[in-house]
Amino acid sequence: MSLQNIYREYNQQIQFIKVYIREAHPIDGWWFGKGFMNTLLRLSGSKVSWEIYDPKTMEERRTAAGDCAESLQYGVKTYVDEMNDQVNKDYAAWPTRLYLIDKNGVVIYAGGLGPFGFKPGALKRAIQKQLQEGMT
Amino acid sequence: MATIKNRQEATAWQHKYDAGAPRVGDPAPDFELRDIQGEDPIRLSNFRGDKPVVLIFGSFT
Repeated sequence: MSLQNIYREYNQQIQFIKVYIREAHPIDGWWFGKGFMNTLLRLSGSKVSWEIYDPKTMEERRTAAGDCAESLQYGVKTYVDEMNDQVNKDYAAWPTRLYLIDKNGVVIYAGGLGPFGFKPGALKRAIQKQLQEGMT
Repeated sequence: MATIKNRQEATAWQHKYDAGAPRVGDPAPDFELRDIQGEDPIRLSNFRGDKPVVLIFGSFT
């Protein structure tokens, strides 16, 4: 189950927002660009980048967000967290996380902490349940 | 938030902020962000009364 497919199936009924946040594994941080993890991820066909330094300015962050959107091709428009990481902190989103919010602004699905809690299939089930309840 | 350098720092950051993150049934923290051009601001609360919202958080690495 990919986010791309979920977006294609539900984008008329659900608003999707991709929020680009601080890099997870930049060259100048917890880098996976070498060794066993690099081999494993390259074999998995992952489209993530290994050649990025953690952006230090908003302009650099926007550029990285654009490169990310172009490479991953989710189809979801990307918005960029500010350099104070406020939205990232509010949602404990680093390195990756999914949420579903209902029409009243209430959280109805809170994905687990990434990367292991990142489960698009669980998100899809929550969307289906929400849409079914909306019809009753 | 400084650049995270290793697993220990990652775990510490996640535990610190997850304690205050919204759970199912909680109001979603509002925000306003701009796109990759620095334009077209979007505010989460603008969708209230309109449609559900999926938030996808991530980076390029």
